[in-house]
Amino acid sequence: MNRKISQQIAFTLFRIFGLLVVVILFSILGFIVVNGIQVINWEFLTTAPKDGMTTGGIFPAIVGTFYLIVGSLLIAFPLGVMSAVYTNEYAGRGWIVKIIRMMTNNLAGIPSIVFGLFGMALFVNKLGFGDSILAGSLTLSVLVLPLIIRTTEEALKAVPDSFRTGSLALGATKLQTIRKVVLPTALPNIITGLILSVGRISGETAPILFTVAAYFLPHLPTSLYDQVMALPYHLYALATSGTDIEASRPMAYGTALVLIGIVLIMNLIASFIRRRLERKWKRN
Amino acid sequence: MIEAKNINFYYDEFQALKNISMKMEPNSVTAFIGPSGCGKSTFLRLFNRMNDLIDNTRMEGECIVDNQNIYDKKMNVDTLRKQVGMVFQKPNPFPKTIFENVAYGLRVNDLGNKQFIQERVEESLISAALWDEVKDKLNKSAFELSGGQQQRLCIARALAVSPSVILMDEPASALDPISTLKIEELIHDLKKDYTIVIVTHNMQQAARVSDKTGFFMLGELVEYSDTKKMFLNPEKEETQNYITGRFG
Repeated sequence: MNRKISQQIAFTLFRIFGLLVVVILFSILGFIVVNGIQVINWEFLTTAPKDGMTTGGIFPAIVGTFYLIVGSLLIAFPLGVMSAVYTNEYAGRGWIVKIIRMMTNNLAGIPSIVFGLFGMALFVNKLGFGDSILAGSLTLSVLVLPLIIRTTEEALKAVPDSFRTGSLALGATKLQTIRKVVLPTALPNIITGLILSVGRISGETAPILFTVAAYFLPHLPTSLYDQVMALPYHLYALATSGTDIEASRPMAYGTALVLIGIVLIMNLIASFIRRRLERKWKRN
Repeated sequence: MIEAKNINFYYDEFQALKNISMKMEPNSVTAFIGPSGCGKSTFLRLFNRMNDLIDNTRMEGECIVDNQNIYDKKMNVDTLRKQVGMVFQKPNPFPKTIFENVAYGLRVNDLGNKQFIQERVEESLISAALWDEVKDKLNKSAFELSGGQQQRLCIARALAVSPSVILMDEPASALDPISTLKIEELIHDLKKDYTIVIVTHNMQQAARVSDKTGFFMLGELVEYSDTKKMFLNPEKEETQNYITGRFG
Protein backbone atom coordinates (compact mmCIF):
# COMPACT_ATOMS: atom_id res chain seq x y z
CA MET A 1 0.00 0.00 0.00
CA ASN A 2 2.74 2.37 1.01
CA ARG A 3 4.69 1.54 -2.13
CA LYS A 4 1.68 2.19 -4.24
CA ILE A 5 1.12 5.63 -2.74
CA SER A 6 4.74 6.66 -3.17
CA GLN A 7 4.54 5.49 -6.77
CA GLN A 8 1.53 7.66 -7.34
CA ILE A 9 3.07 10.67 -5.68
CA ALA A 10 6.18 10.27 -7.82
CA PHE A 11 4.21 9.97 -11.05
CA THR A 12 2.08 12.95 -10.18
CA LEU A 13 5.16 15.04 -9.53
CA PHE A 14 6.77 13.95 -12.78
CA ARG A 15 3.62 14.73 -14.67
CA ILE A 16 3.40 18.19 -13.12
CA PHE A 17 6.99 18.96 -14.04
CA GLY A 18 6.41 17.62 -17.52
CA LEU A 19 3.38 19.82 -17.97
CA LEU A 20 5.23 22.78 -16.45
CA VAL A 21 7.47 22.90 -19.53
CA VAL A 22 4.41 23.13 -21.74
CA VAL A 23 2.92 25.82 -19.51
CA ILE A 24 6.11 27.89 -19.61
CA LEU A 25 6.40 27.60 -23.38
CA PHE A 26 2.80 28.53 -23.96
CA SER A 27 2.86 31.45 -21.56
CA ILE A 28 5.84 32.92 -23.37
CA LEU A 29 4.24 32.33 -26.75
CA GLY A 30 0.88 33.58 -25.53
CA PHE A 31 2.41 36.69 -24.01
CA ILE A 32 4.21 37.53 -27.25
CA VAL A 33 1.20 36.77 -29.43
CA VAL A 34 -1.28 38.73 -27.33
CA ASN A 35 0.98 41.77 -27.14
CA GLY A 36 2.39 41.54 -30.62
CA ILE A 37 -0.60 40.66 -32.74
CA GLN A 38 -2.19 44.12 -32.50
CA VAL A 39 0.63 45.83 -34.40
CA ILE A 40 0.98 43.16 -37.06
CA ASN A 41 -0.47 44.31 -40.31
CA TRP A 42 0.66 44.67 -43.89
CA GLU A 43 2.32 48.01 -43.25
CA PHE A 44 4.25 46.62 -40.30
CA LEU A 45 5.67 43.83 -42.42
CA THR A 46 6.47 45.87 -45.52
CA THR A 47 7.66 49.31 -44.51
CA ALA A 48 10.57 50.82 -42.62
CA PRO A 49 10.29 52.23 -39.09
CA LYS A 50 9.07 55.83 -38.81
CA ASP A 51 8.84 58.58 -36.21
CA GLY A 52 11.77 57.48 -34.09
CA MET A 53 10.73 53.83 -34.50
CA THR A 54 7.40 54.36 -32.75
CA THR A 55 5.34 53.67 -35.90
CA GLY A 56 5.90 52.22 -39.31
CA GLY A 57 7.22 48.70 -39.80
CA ILE A 58 10.20 46.41 -39.56
CA PHE A 59 10.69 45.42 -43.17
CA PRO A 60 14.44 46.22 -43.30
CA ALA A 61 15.02 44.10 -40.21
CA ILE A 62 13.12 41.14 -41.71
CA VAL A 63 15.15 41.39 -44.89
CA GLY A 64 18.38 41.79 -42.92
CA THR A 65 17.74 38.71 -40.82
CA PHE A 66 16.84 36.77 -43.93
CA TYR A 67 20.12 37.77 -45.60
CA LEU A 68 22.06 36.78 -42.50
CA ILE A 69 20.39 33.37 -42.35
CA VAL A 70 21.10 32.67 -46.02
CA GLY A 71 24.60 34.12 -45.89
CA SER A 72 25.77 32.20 -42.84
CA LEU A 73 24.20 28.94 -43.98
CA LEU A 74 25.91 29.26 -47.37
CA ILE A 75 29.21 29.40 -45.53
CA ALA A 76 28.64 27.11 -42.55
CA PHE A 77 26.61 24.34 -44.17
CA PRO A 78 29.14 23.11 -46.75
CA LEU A 79 32.01 23.61 -44.31
CA GLY A 80 30.24 21.80 -41.50
CA VAL A 81 29.07 18.89 -43.63
CA MET A 82 32.50 18.43 -45.20
CA SER A 83 34.25 18.51 -41.88
CA ALA A 84 31.79 15.99 -40.43
CA VAL A 85 32.32 13.75 -43.45
CA TYR A 86 36.04 13.97 -42.85
CA THR A 87 35.92 13.09 -39.16
CA ASN A 88 33.30 10.39 -39.54
CA GLU A 89 34.20 8.75 -42.83
CA TYR A 90 37.87 9.37 -43.49
CA ALA A 91 39.83 10.16 -40.39
CA GLY A 92 39.44 6.85 -38.58
CA ARG A 93 39.84 6.82 -34.83
CA GLY A 94 43.18 8.51 -34.28
CA TRP A 95 44.16 11.41 -32.09
CA ILE A 96 43.46 13.99 -34.83
CA VAL A 97 39.76 13.15 -34.73
CA LYS A 98 39.74 13.24 -30.96
CA ILE A 99 41.23 16.73 -31.04
CA ILE A 100 38.80 17.92 -33.72
CA ARG A 101 35.84 16.57 -31.72
CA MET A 102 37.08 18.15 -28.52
CA MET A 103 37.58 21.50 -30.24
CA THR A 104 34.15 21.31 -31.86
CA ASN A 105 32.56 20.70 -28.47
CA ASN A 106 34.52 23.55 -26.93
CA LEU A 107 33.55 25.85 -29.77
CA ALA A 108 29.90 25.04 -29.07
CA GLY A 109 30.32 26.12 -25.48
CA ILE A 110 31.76 29.58 -26.14
CA PRO A 111 29.37 32.40 -25.24
CA SER A 112 27.99 34.10 -28.33
CA ILE A 113 29.21 37.55 -27.31
CA VAL A 114 32.76 36.20 -27.60
CA PHE A 115 32.03 35.21 -31.17
CA GLY A 116 30.85 38.77 -31.72
CA LEU A 117 34.08 40.13 -30.36
CA PHE A 118 36.11 37.71 -32.43
CA GLY A 119 34.12 38.57 -35.55
CA MET A 120 34.71 42.24 -34.99
CA ALA A 121 38.44 41.76 -34.48
CA LEU A 122 38.96 39.43 -37.43
CA PHE A 123 36.32 40.08 -40.08
CA VAL A 124 35.41 43.70 -39.43
CA ASN A 125 38.85 45.13 -38.58
CA LYS A 126 41.65 42.80 -39.59
CA LEU A 127 40.16 41.67 -42.90
CA GLY A 128 38.57 45.06 -43.40
CA PHE A 129 35.06 43.96 -44.28
CA GLY A 130 33.69 46.66 -41.99
CA ASP A 131 30.28 46.33 -40.38
CA SER A 132 28.70 44.32 -43.16
CA ILE A 133 26.51 41.39 -44.13
CA LEU A 134 29.71 39.57 -45.01
CA ALA A 135 31.29 40.06 -41.59
CA GLY A 136 28.02 39.26 -39.81
CA SER A 137 27.39 36.11 -41.84
CA LEU A 138 30.95 34.90 -41.27
CA THR A 139 30.64 35.48 -37.53
CA LEU A 140 27.29 33.72 -37.35
CA SER A 141 28.61 30.85 -39.43
CA VAL A 142 31.47 30.29 -36.98
CA LEU A 143 28.83 30.23 -34.26
CA VAL A 144 26.65 27.56 -35.87
CA LEU A 145 29.49 25.50 -37.30
CA PRO A 146 29.77 23.20 -34.25
CA LEU A 147 26.03 22.62 -34.28
CA ILE A 148 26.07 21.64 -37.96
CA ILE A 149 29.15 19.45 -37.53
CA ARG A 150 27.64 17.65 -34.55
CA THR A 151 24.26 16.98 -36.10
CA THR A 152 25.83 15.91 -39.40
CA GLU A 153 28.15 13.53 -37.56
CA GLU A 154 25.21 12.01 -35.74
CA ALA A 155 23.37 11.70 -39.04
CA LEU A 156 26.33 9.94 -40.65
CA LYS A 157 26.73 7.61 -37.68
CA ALA A 158 23.10 6.58 -38.10
CA VAL A 159 23.81 5.27 -41.61
CA PRO A 160 24.30 1.49 -41.27
CA ASP A 161 27.81 0.29 -42.11
CA SER A 162 26.27 -2.41 -44.28
CA PHE A 163 25.39 0.30 -46.81
CA ARG A 164 29.02 1.34 -46.99
CA THR A 165 30.42 -2.18 -47.30
CA GLY A 166 27.71 -3.05 -49.82
CA SER A 167 28.71 -0.14 -51.99
CA LEU A 168 32.45 -0.75 -51.70
CA ALA A 169 31.93 -4.43 -52.49
CA LEU A 170 30.45 -3.39 -55.85
CA GLY A 171 33.62 -1.58 -56.82
CA ALA A 172 32.50 1.90 -55.83
CA THR A 173 35.22 4.19 -54.52
CA LYS A 174 34.96 5.65 -51.07
CA LEU A 175 34.01 9.05 -52.47
CA GLN A 176 31.27 7.52 -54.63
CA THR A 177 30.01 5.59 -51.62
CA ILE A 178 29.80 8.78 -49.59
CA ARG A 179 28.19 10.83 -52.36
CA LYS A 180 25.71 8.28 -53.64
CA VAL A 181 24.81 6.23 -50.59
CA VAL A 182 25.93 7.71 -47.28
CA LEU A 183 24.99 11.37 -47.75
CA PRO A 184 21.59 10.75 -49.36
CA THR A 185 20.72 8.35 -46.54
CA ALA A 186 21.83 10.83 -43.90
CA LEU A 187 20.15 13.80 -45.56
CA PRO A 188 16.91 13.90 -43.53
CA ASN A 189 18.90 14.04 -40.30
CA ILE A 190 21.35 16.56 -41.72
CA ILE A 191 18.39 18.78 -42.53
CA THR A 192 17.37 18.59 -38.88
CA GLY A 193 20.72 20.16 -38.06
CA LEU A 194 19.99 22.84 -40.60
CA ILE A 195 16.66 23.60 -38.92
CA LEU A 196 18.34 24.03 -35.56
CA SER A 197 20.94 26.32 -37.14
CA VAL A 198 18.30 28.56 -38.67
CA GLY A 199 16.75 29.04 -35.26
CA ARG A 200 20.12 29.80 -33.75
CA ILE A 201 21.23 32.23 -36.47
CA SER A 202 18.03 34.22 -36.62
CA GLY A 203 17.82 34.63 -32.86
CA GLU A 204 21.37 35.58 -31.91
CA THR A 205 21.99 39.21 -31.05
CA ALA A 206 25.48 39.31 -29.59
CA PRO A 207 27.42 38.08 -32.64
CA ILE A 208 25.82 40.64 -34.94
CA LEU A 209 26.06 43.50 -32.49
CA PHE A 210 29.58 44.56 -33.53
CA THR A 211 29.69 43.01 -36.97
CA VAL A 212 26.64 43.97 -39.01
CA ALA A 213 23.60 45.20 -37.14
CA ALA A 214 22.46 48.76 -37.74
CA TYR A 215 20.40 50.64 -35.18
CA PHE A 216 18.33 52.35 -37.80
CA LEU A 217 18.71 51.96 -41.54
CA PRO A 218 15.54 52.64 -43.50
CA HIS A 219 16.84 51.46 -46.88
CA LEU A 220 17.67 47.93 -47.96
CA PRO A 221 21.26 46.73 -48.43
CA THR A 222 22.66 46.75 -51.93
CA SER A 223 25.87 44.79 -51.45
CA LEU A 224 27.59 42.29 -49.16
CA TYR A 225 29.50 45.19 -47.62
CA ASP A 226 26.39 46.98 -46.40
CA GLN A 227 25.10 47.02 -42.88
CA VAL A 228 21.60 45.74 -42.24
CA MET A 229 19.03 45.90 -39.52
CA ALA A 230 18.23 42.53 -38.00
CA LEU A 231 15.24 41.39 -35.97
CA PRO A 232 16.89 40.40 -32.68
CA TYR A 233 18.97 43.56 -32.51
CA HIS A 234 16.02 45.69 -33.57
CA LEU A 235 14.04 44.15 -30.73
CA TYR A 236 16.81 45.04 -28.34
CA ALA A 237 16.97 48.58 -29.66
CA LEU A 238 13.21 49.06 -29.44
CA ALA A 239 13.11 47.76 -25.89
CA THR A 240 16.06 49.71 -24.51
CA SER A 241 17.12 52.66 -26.54
CA GLY A 242 14.36 54.08 -28.69
CA THR A 243 13.46 57.75 -28.62
CA ASP A 244 10.25 56.92 -26.79
CA ILE A 245 10.47 53.47 -25.27
CA GLU A 246 6.88 53.38 -24.04
CA ALA A 247 5.55 54.25 -27.49
CA SER A 248 7.72 51.73 -29.26
CA ARG A 249 6.92 48.85 -26.88
CA PRO A 250 4.12 47.44 -29.06
CA MET A 251 6.56 47.54 -31.98
CA ALA A 252 8.95 45.46 -29.89
CA TYR A 253 6.33 42.81 -29.25
CA GLY A 254 5.44 42.78 -32.92
CA THR A 255 9.09 42.28 -33.80
CA ALA A 256 9.36 39.39 -31.35
CA LEU A 257 6.31 37.78 -32.87
CA VAL A 258 7.70 38.10 -36.39
CA LEU A 259 11.02 36.63 -35.24
CA ILE A 260 9.30 33.64 -33.69
CA GLY A 261 7.10 33.36 -36.76
CA ILE A 262 10.08 33.26 -39.14
CA VAL A 263 11.81 30.55 -37.11
CA LEU A 264 8.57 28.59 -36.93
CA ILE A 265 7.96 28.82 -40.67
CA MET A 266 11.54 27.81 -41.44
CA ASN A 267 11.17 24.83 -39.11
CA LEU A 268 7.93 23.78 -40.72
CA ILE A 269 9.39 23.97 -44.23
CA ALA A 270 12.47 22.02 -43.24
CA SER A 271 10.59 19.33 -41.36
CA PHE A 272 8.22 19.00 -44.29
CA ILE A 273 11.19 18.33 -46.59
CA ARG A 274 12.67 15.99 -44.01
CA ARG A 275 9.45 14.06 -43.64
CA ARG A 276 9.13 13.65 -47.40
CA LEU A 277 12.69 12.38 -47.74
CA GLU A 278 12.16 9.96 -44.91
CA ARG A 279 8.87 8.64 -46.18
CA LYS A 280 10.52 7.87 -49.47
CA TRP A 281 12.74 5.18 -47.94
CA LYS A 282 11.85 4.18 -44.43
CA ARG A 283 9.17 1.67 -45.09
CA ASN A 284 10.25 -0.98 -42.63
CA MET B 1 40.08 -20.13 -60.62
CA ILE B 2 40.97 -18.93 -57.15
CA GLU B 3 44.04 -19.92 -55.28
CA ALA B 4 45.29 -19.12 -51.82
CA LYS B 5 48.92 -19.84 -50.97
CA ASN B 6 50.22 -20.03 -47.41
CA ILE B 7 47.87 -17.45 -46.00
CA ASN B 8 48.45 -16.11 -42.52
CA PHE B 9 46.16 -13.41 -41.23
CA TYR B 10 46.29 -11.36 -38.05
CA TYR B 11 43.92 -9.08 -36.18
CA ASP B 12 46.44 -7.12 -34.13
CA GLU B 13 48.34 -9.90 -32.35
CA PHE B 14 45.65 -12.52 -32.82
CA GLN B 15 46.33 -14.94 -35.64
CA ALA B 16 43.01 -15.67 -37.31
CA LEU B 17 44.29 -17.78 -40.22
CA LYS B 18 47.17 -20.19 -40.05
CA ASN B 19 49.08 -21.15 -43.16
CA ILE B 20 46.10 -21.89 -45.38
CA SER B 21 46.48 -23.03 -48.97
CA MET B 22 43.62 -24.10 -51.18
CA LYS B 23 42.32 -23.94 -54.75
CA MET B 24 38.77 -23.30 -55.83
CA GLU B 25 37.64 -24.52 -59.23
CA PRO B 26 35.79 -22.29 -61.68
CA ASN B 27 32.09 -22.98 -62.22
CA SER B 28 31.76 -24.78 -58.98
CA VAL B 29 30.45 -24.05 -55.51
CA THR B 30 32.91 -24.25 -52.65
CA ALA B 31 31.54 -24.14 -49.13
CA PHE B 32 33.41 -23.17 -45.96
CA ILE B 33 32.08 -24.63 -42.73
CA GLY B 34 33.31 -24.52 -39.18
CA PRO B 35 32.44 -23.24 -35.71
CA SER B 36 32.04 -19.48 -35.06
CA GLY B 37 35.33 -17.66 -34.95
CA CYS B 38 37.16 -20.32 -36.94
CA GLY B 39 38.28 -17.83 -39.58
CA LYS B 40 36.08 -18.91 -42.48
CA SER B 41 34.53 -15.45 -43.01
CA THR B 42 37.92 -13.78 -42.64
CA PHE B 43 39.27 -16.13 -45.28
CA LEU B 44 36.33 -15.39 -47.60
CA ARG B 45 36.81 -11.63 -47.29
CA LEU B 46 40.41 -11.94 -48.43
CA PHE B 47 39.30 -12.54 -51.99
CA ASN B 48 37.70 -9.14 -52.50
CA ARG B 49 39.99 -7.48 -50.00
CA MET B 50 37.16 -6.49 -47.68
CA ASN B 51 39.54 -7.13 -44.80
CA ASP B 52 41.38 -4.01 -45.93
CA LEU B 53 38.56 -2.03 -44.32
CA ILE B 54 39.38 -3.35 -40.85
CA ASP B 55 42.08 -1.49 -38.94
CA ASN B 56 45.18 -3.19 -37.59
CA THR B 57 45.06 -6.30 -39.73
CA ARG B 58 47.97 -7.98 -41.47
CA MET B 59 48.12 -10.60 -44.17
CA GLU B 60 50.89 -12.86 -45.39
CA GLY B 61 50.80 -15.13 -48.40
CA GLU B 62 49.32 -14.91 -51.86
CA CYS B 63 45.77 -14.75 -53.17
CA ILE B 64 45.35 -15.39 -56.84
CA VAL B 65 42.12 -14.65 -58.68
CA ASP B 66 41.97 -15.13 -62.45
CA ASN B 67 45.76 -15.35 -62.65
CA GLN B 68 46.33 -12.11 -60.77
CA ASN B 69 47.89 -11.77 -57.39
CA ILE B 70 45.22 -9.54 -55.88
CA TYR B 71 47.46 -8.30 -53.08
CA ASP B 72 49.98 -7.01 -55.58
CA LYS B 73 50.73 -3.29 -55.15
CA LYS B 74 49.58 -2.62 -58.71
CA MET B 75 46.19 -4.22 -58.12
CA ASN B 76 43.30 -1.78 -58.26
CA VAL B 77 40.99 -2.74 -55.40
CA ASP B 78 37.89 -1.17 -56.97
CA THR B 79 38.43 -3.19 -60.15
CA LEU B 80 38.96 -6.33 -58.10
CA ARG B 81 35.67 -5.85 -56.27
CA LYS B 82 33.87 -5.50 -59.57
CA GLN B 83 35.39 -8.79 -60.61
CA VAL B 84 34.70 -10.51 -57.27
CA GLY B 85 31.17 -9.80 -56.10
CA MET B 86 29.93 -10.30 -52.57
CA VAL B 87 26.64 -11.10 -50.88
CA PHE B 88 26.41 -10.42 -47.17
CA GLN B 89 24.86 -12.16 -44.22
CA LYS B 90 22.06 -9.68 -43.80
CA PRO B 91 20.39 -8.36 -46.95
CA ASN B 92 21.75 -4.83 -47.36
CA PRO B 93 19.93 -3.13 -50.22
CA PHE B 94 20.56 0.61 -50.51
CA PRO B 95 17.76 3.03 -49.64
CA LYS B 96 17.05 3.43 -53.32
CA THR B 97 14.57 1.99 -55.78
CA ILE B 98 14.78 -1.64 -56.86
CA PHE B 99 16.04 -0.52 -60.26
CA GLU B 100 18.67 1.83 -58.84
CA ASN B 101 19.95 -0.86 -56.49
CA VAL B 102 20.81 -3.11 -59.41
CA ALA B 103 22.02 -0.23 -61.58
CA TYR B 104 24.27 1.09 -58.83
CA GLY B 105 27.33 -1.00 -59.62
CA LEU B 106 27.03 -0.14 -63.31
CA ARG B 107 26.74 3.56 -62.60
CA VAL B 108 29.65 3.82 -60.20
CA ASN B 109 31.84 1.83 -62.56
CA ASP B 110 30.73 3.89 -65.55
CA LEU B 111 29.53 0.84 -67.43
CA GLY B 112 27.36 1.47 -70.42
CA ASN B 113 24.73 3.95 -71.49
CA LYS B 114 21.14 4.23 -70.39
CA GLN B 115 19.88 1.47 -72.62
CA PHE B 116 22.63 -0.92 -71.64
CA ILE B 117 21.91 -0.31 -67.98
CA GLN B 118 18.23 -0.94 -68.57
CA GLU B 119 18.97 -4.28 -70.24
CA ARG B 120 21.59 -5.30 -67.75
CA VAL B 121 19.28 -4.60 -64.80
CA GLU B 122 16.63 -6.80 -66.33
CA GLU B 123 19.10 -9.60 -67.12
CA SER B 124 20.49 -9.50 -63.62
CA LEU B 125 17.07 -9.62 -62.02
CA ILE B 126 16.16 -12.55 -64.24
CA SER B 127 19.37 -14.35 -63.30
CA ALA B 128 18.64 -13.74 -59.64
CA ALA B 129 15.15 -15.24 -60.09
CA LEU B 130 13.53 -12.03 -58.94
CA TRP B 131 12.33 -10.43 -62.18
CA ASP B 132 8.79 -11.81 -62.18
CA GLU B 133 8.22 -10.59 -58.64
CA VAL B 134 9.48 -7.04 -59.17
CA LYS B 135 9.06 -6.18 -62.85
CA ASP B 136 5.98 -4.06 -62.14
CA LYS B 137 7.52 -2.12 -59.27
CA LEU B 138 11.07 -1.35 -60.31
CA ASN B 139 10.65 2.21 -59.10
CA LYS B 140 9.49 1.23 -55.64
CA SER B 141 11.84 1.32 -52.66
CA ALA B 142 13.91 -1.83 -52.20
CA PHE B 143 12.78 -1.85 -48.58
CA GLU B 144 9.29 -2.84 -49.67
CA LEU B 145 10.58 -6.30 -50.57
CA SER B 146 10.63 -9.23 -48.14
CA GLY B 147 13.94 -10.32 -46.60
CA GLY B 148 14.36 -13.16 -49.10
CA GLN B 149 13.57 -10.89 -52.03
CA GLN B 150 15.99 -8.30 -50.68
CA GLN B 151 18.72 -10.92 -50.56
CA ARG B 152 18.03 -11.94 -54.16
CA LEU B 153 18.10 -8.25 -55.06
CA CYS B 154 21.55 -8.05 -53.50
CA ILE B 155 22.58 -11.05 -55.58
CA ALA B 156 21.19 -9.35 -58.72
CA ARG B 157 23.10 -6.22 -57.74
CA ALA B 158 26.31 -8.25 -57.53
CA LEU B 159 25.63 -9.99 -60.86
CA ALA B 160 24.99 -6.72 -62.70
CA VAL B 161 28.66 -5.75 -62.89
CA SER B 162 29.55 -9.12 -64.47
CA PRO B 163 31.86 -10.59 -61.86
CA SER B 164 33.59 -13.91 -62.36
CA VAL B 165 33.49 -14.86 -58.69
CA ILE B 166 30.72 -14.44 -56.14
CA LEU B 167 31.49 -14.63 -52.45
CA MET B 168 28.57 -15.35 -50.14
CA ASP B 169 28.90 -14.84 -46.41
CA GLU B 170 26.11 -16.88 -44.82
CA PRO B 171 23.65 -15.51 -47.37
CA ALA B 172 20.62 -17.33 -45.99
CA SER B 173 21.23 -17.17 -42.26
CA ALA B 174 18.78 -14.28 -41.78
CA LEU B 175 16.07 -15.83 -43.96
CA ASP B 176 13.12 -18.15 -43.45
CA PRO B 177 13.28 -21.75 -44.80
CA ILE B 178 11.40 -21.05 -48.04
CA SER B 179 13.53 -18.03 -48.91
CA THR B 180 16.58 -20.10 -48.00
CA LEU B 181 15.51 -22.79 -50.43
CA LYS B 182 15.11 -20.21 -53.19
CA ILE B 183 18.60 -18.87 -52.55
CA GLU B 184 20.01 -22.38 -52.64
CA GLU B 185 18.31 -23.12 -55.95
CA LEU B 186 19.66 -19.85 -57.24
CA ILE B 187 23.21 -20.76 -56.18
CA HIS B 188 22.81 -24.00 -58.07
CA ASP B 189 21.73 -22.13 -61.23
CA LEU B 190 24.46 -19.53 -60.99
CA LYS B 191 27.20 -22.13 -60.80
CA LYS B 192 27.31 -22.58 -64.55
CA ASP B 193 28.42 -18.97 -65.07
CA TYR B 194 30.27 -18.08 -61.89
CA THR B 195 32.71 -19.39 -59.37
CA ILE B 196 30.89 -19.37 -56.07
CA VAL B 197 32.36 -19.48 -52.60
CA ILE B 198 29.93 -19.67 -49.73
CA VAL B 199 30.39 -19.52 -45.97
CA THR B 200 27.66 -21.24 -44.04
CA HIS B 201 26.82 -22.29 -40.52
CA ASN B 202 24.33 -24.76 -41.81
CA MET B 203 25.92 -28.09 -42.68
CA GLN B 204 22.90 -29.39 -44.53
CA GLN B 205 23.15 -26.31 -46.68
CA ALA B 206 26.79 -26.97 -47.43
CA ALA B 207 25.90 -30.56 -48.31
CA ARG B 208 23.05 -29.42 -50.58
CA VAL B 209 24.70 -26.63 -52.54
CA SER B 210 28.42 -27.24 -52.74
CA ASP B 211 30.77 -29.36 -54.81
CA LYS B 212 33.66 -29.03 -52.45
CA THR B 213 33.76 -28.22 -48.77
CA GLY B 214 36.47 -26.84 -46.55
CA PHE B 215 36.26 -27.37 -42.80
CA PHE B 216 37.91 -24.67 -40.72
CA MET B 217 38.75 -24.80 -37.06
CA LEU B 218 40.76 -22.35 -34.93
CA GLY B 219 42.16 -20.64 -37.99
CA GLU B 220 43.27 -23.81 -39.70
CA LEU B 221 41.90 -25.59 -42.71
CA VAL B 222 41.36 -29.01 -41.18
CA GLU B 223 40.00 -30.78 -44.21
CA TYR B 224 39.17 -29.84 -47.78
CA SER B 225 37.63 -32.33 -50.16
CA ASP B 226 34.63 -33.19 -52.30
CA THR B 227 31.47 -32.42 -50.38
CA LYS B 228 30.15 -35.96 -50.76
CA LYS B 229 33.30 -37.45 -49.36
CA MET B 230 33.48 -34.91 -46.57
CA PHE B 231 29.99 -35.67 -45.32
CA LEU B 232 30.02 -39.44 -45.87
CA ASN B 233 33.54 -40.33 -45.06
CA PRO B 234 35.65 -37.54 -43.59
CA GLU B 235 39.32 -38.17 -43.09
CA LYS B 236 39.86 -36.32 -39.85
CA GLU B 237 38.27 -37.01 -36.54
CA GLU B 238 37.56 -33.29 -35.89
CA THR B 239 35.58 -33.10 -39.11
CA GLN B 240 33.63 -36.20 -38.16
CA ASN B 241 32.86 -34.71 -34.75
CA TYR B 242 31.77 -31.40 -36.18
CA ILE B 243 29.51 -32.67 -38.93
CA THR B 244 27.86 -35.17 -36.67
CA GLY B 245 27.06 -32.33 -34.31
CA ARG B 246 29.27 -33.40 -31.43
CA PHE B 247 30.41 -29.79 -31.04
CA GLY B 248 30.14 -26.42 -32.76
